[in-house]
Amino acid sequence: MTTRRRSRPGQYGAHVALLPMALTALVGYLGAMLWTLRVSLTSSRTFAIHDHVDIAQYARLFHNERWLLSLENLAVYGVLFVAGCLLIGLVLAVLIDRQVRAEAALRTAFLYPYAMSFVATGVVWQWLLNPSLGIQEAVRRLGLAGFQFDWIVDPDKVIYTIAIATIWQASGLVMVILLAGLRGVDPEIWKAARLDGIPAWRVYWSIVLPMLGHSFATAAILLLAAVVKLYDAVVAMTQGGPGTASEVPAKFIMDHLFGRANIALASAGAIVMLVTVMALLAPVVYLRGRSGASAR
Amino acid sequence: MFSSRLTTIAVALLASVLAHAAPPRAEVIHWWTSGGESAAVRRLADAYKSAGGEWLDTAVAGSEQARAVAVSRVVGGDPPTAALFNTSKQFHDLVEQGSLATVDAVAIRDGWDKLLPEPILDAIRIKGHYYAAPVSIHMPTWIWYSKAAFRRAGLTAEPATIDELFQDLDRLKAAGLIPLAHGGQPWQENILFRAMLANVGGRDLYLKILRDRDPRALQSAEFKKVLSTFKRLHAYVDGASPGRNWNDATALLITGKAGIQIMGDWVKAEFALARQLPERDYGCIAGLGPQVPYIVQGDAFVFPKSDDPQTAKAQQLLASVITAPRTQVAFSVQKGSIPIRPDIDQSTLDVCARAGIAILKDKSRVVGNDENYLTPDQNGALSDILTTYWNRDIQVEAVQKLIAVALTQ
Amino acid sequence: MTRRLDPSRVGLYAFLATAAAFFLLPLYIMLVTSLKPLDEIRLGNIFALPQAATFEFWRAAWSTVCTGVSCEGIRGGFANSLLIALPSTAIAIGLGALNGYALAFWRVRGAHLLFALLMLGAFVPLQVMIYPLVRVTAMLHIFGTLPGIVLVHVIFSMPVMTLLFRNYYATVPQELFNAARVDGGRFLRTFWHVVLPMSGPIIVVASIMQLTGVWNDYLLGLVFAGRDHLPMTVQLNNVINTTTGARLYNVNMAATILTALVPLVLYFGAGRWFVRGIATGAVKG
Repeated sequence: MTTRRRSRPGQYGAHVALLPMALTALVGYLGAMLWTLRVSLTSSRTFAIHDHVDIAQYARLFHNERWLLSLENLAVYGVLFVAGCLLIGLVLAVLIDRQVRAEAALRTAFLYPYAMSFVATGVVWQWLLNPSLGIQEAVRRLGLAGFQFDWIVDPDKVIYTIAIATIWQASGLVMVILLAGLRGVDPEIWKAARLDGIPAWRVYWSIVLPMLGHSFATAAILLLAAVVKLYDAVVAMTQGGPGTASEVPAKFIMDHLFGRANIALASAGAIVMLVTVMALLAPVVYLRGRSGASAR
Repeated sequence: MFSSRLTTIAVALLASVLAHAAPPRAEVIHWWTSGGESAAVRRLADAYKSAGGEWLDTAVAGSEQARAVAVSRVVGGDPPTAALFNTSKQFHDLVEQGSLATVDAVAIRDGWDKLLPEPILDAIRIKGHYYAAPVSIHMPTWIWYSKAAFRRAGLTAEPATIDELFQDLDRLKAAGLIPLAHGGQPWQENILFRAMLANVGGRDLYLKILRDRDPRALQSAEFKKVLSTFKRLHAYVDGASPGRNWNDATALLITGKAGIQIMGDWVKAEFALARQLPERDYGCIAGLGPQVPYIVQGDAFVFPKSDDPQTAKAQQLLASVITAPRTQVAFSVQKGSIPIRPDIDQSTLDVCARAGIAILKDKSRVVGNDENYLTPDQNGALSDILTTYWNRDIQVEAVQKLIAVALTQ
Repeated sequence: MTRRLDPSRVGLYAFLATAAAFFLLPLYIMLVTSLKPLDEIRLGNIFALPQAATFEFWRAAWSTVCTGVSCEGIRGGFANSLLIALPSTAIAIGLGALNGYALAFWRVRGAHLLFALLMLGAFVPLQVMIYPLVRVTAMLHIFGTLPGIVLVHVIFSMPVMTLLFRNYYATVPQELFNAARVDGGRFLRTFWHVVLPMSGPIIVVASIMQLTGVWNDYLLGLVFAGRDHLPMTVQLNNVINTTTGARLYNVNMAATILTALVPLVLYFGAGRWFVRGIATGAVKG
């Protein structure tokens, strides 16, 4: 009785507090998605026009070799990037959490790539990966004459180099997110485990990591969003090349949105990406919603 | 000289008439941000200032970004006074929307229809109205060669035919040099293609393919030869070329590691930075033979419509100032381009620019750039096919078919 | 507490040092490149130390390199970047924390559906939203103004900010929250006195993400901020990104490091908020 009476004004506050979010979600995002959907059904060029071409843009999209290759590249890249960042980020977070000296310096060393614009670091990665300038040449000069590392000029391997550079950029962020999670773990757990003589790795594996589920979910969603939006690194490092070997969907969308003045085709591409994401995330959201409901 | 003086006086007079109240203010969006480009656009700003105007500079690196900003500002109701575009179909959608003001008064006063090269006229004149003021002409398919590399390969004369070009490439290769300095990016591969279309195919085929998108020409044996010659060049680039920036390819010429680069006349800025001079350190060839078409890639300012009469005045003054002969020469010297009009004083221009101006006077050699004839969308589709062909092993017949489909759909 | 230097600690430090060296390699190349003249860069040994290091290009990047008609380096946009980044970061984090709190602790009908929709928004390439947003901000008469760009940043960051806080609060024991509520806390009071004080680590993460994102943003600032408030990245891009002009690699590298300094200071300094166990302390108190 009393709790109920007291919770009412609070509920009211919660409703008010969520208004900006509701506006953003409905007017901003839902509105933009519907607009994009609408444009994708027209023959708009530089500006949106309101004719109807049904699914002609989608048909063109799925007959376009570059788009299909982009999707394939993104799948390969996505798996490598998300797995790589989570793994490296986790290892770094756990090690830094072991009460190391110079924590701030180490943290910054792993996180600084996140602050650097790819416009310039892309050039550095280009140099590093360039067979006649970078790592290959340096190792050969050290005496390993047969050493070969020329992925960036190899159409079959170039997408791996994009993964390497972007993992370098993003795994520091994953480290920080997981570190924030680790710092939220109750110190009593550690005290108890030490008293019981349980080795640290077992505490991590059996107790602490399972508690970080939400931190992992946060990191995974951020990484997944970065995968879908992958653009800067490709433009800075390969411009989609050699040929079209490292093309990705966001670059296809961008190229058609601005340079190629075909916003209808670009919108169709964006909608396809959105539907793909929904198809991937729906089962996860559904399962989590169910487990959440049963836990409460 | 005399006529340019006259125009300057006319400009000054016009300016003084316009400047009775506040000076005309022009906010200008452009993508000229590197050292040389920056110096060039400053010549425009200075000329505008001395004509009584005030130049507000909005520089945005990257032509696509700059155009995107200009278009969004038009959509958002906060248009700039002027925005840079290429002389191409890029701004035709804006014209169709009724978003651009004309510069007919200046164009008719100065007789642009007799002064400007045809591809530029065709791009800026729509249904008899002028919608842009041209400012520079680049030629994207110059053939540059390093004199040092040529000496090392024992080459004394510059190539005069396509066969000689390939012989020279072979000699350079035999001398252990990189024969062709190439940056493996789609737009640079596109340049090689256009160079071959111009030099191997000739003017007729060039126009039939890009302007008319003629199905028979697209399927012809001549076009097939163009495509296979383009691919033949691939044997002369080094393995590290994919992804390389054009200027790093030029650096290979500067250091004498490579012999030849096919690229627009903006490379002169890189040579100049390395304190190298035309004729002494490097050579420039506009085309292999006296009939080879000269490709005109132009830049022009467009003027978004405004209700404010002050803005309209600022726009007319700007169109008048940037096309004036004196401004044109001052600008071209810095930019590496050539002036849009032939009635100028050439003494301060370099030998390559003078060669370009001489060719430009021969109307039978002048053709437009790919973007003059193709929509940005068609051009992009073509570029995708060409870069794939360059980098993968694909039969030339298959490529020919893909191009025919992309350009005729 | 001092620790003995046992083998496992040595291994730990060795591993971290090696990893740090790998991460720092690109920065090393940027640094040495920024100290070399172009002729030396053209020689093509990217790892080599400069023959005669000079800070000339750093000075050029900051105050003399041309970015259009003006040649005043990248410093011009510094104040604008701060003017955009500070409110965008503060408002976005405030809203994100409120949203996360309301979603995690309060039952509001339909809120989770809204949240799912918002999260979907995180996957829309922001470029396709530019034209619609241009129209919306023009309608509100804030296109090309400081409030306009801040609003755009807040909109684009809301999915991620909300996600960060919601997932962080989801790990906080519900009892803690219930206890506070029974004590008579209302919505905002509970937020202010109970929830916010235990949010240290996630606020650090959120500011790292949001400040970096806004600070490095280029396209949105360019389109929405208006001529008078163009951020520093516009000048940075003007220095670096040129298609047909000569490229000054040394100045580019110096300019990039200079631009990144503000987020870097935050990364280094914010660590003291990464303290352990605030949440549990609050439970007991």
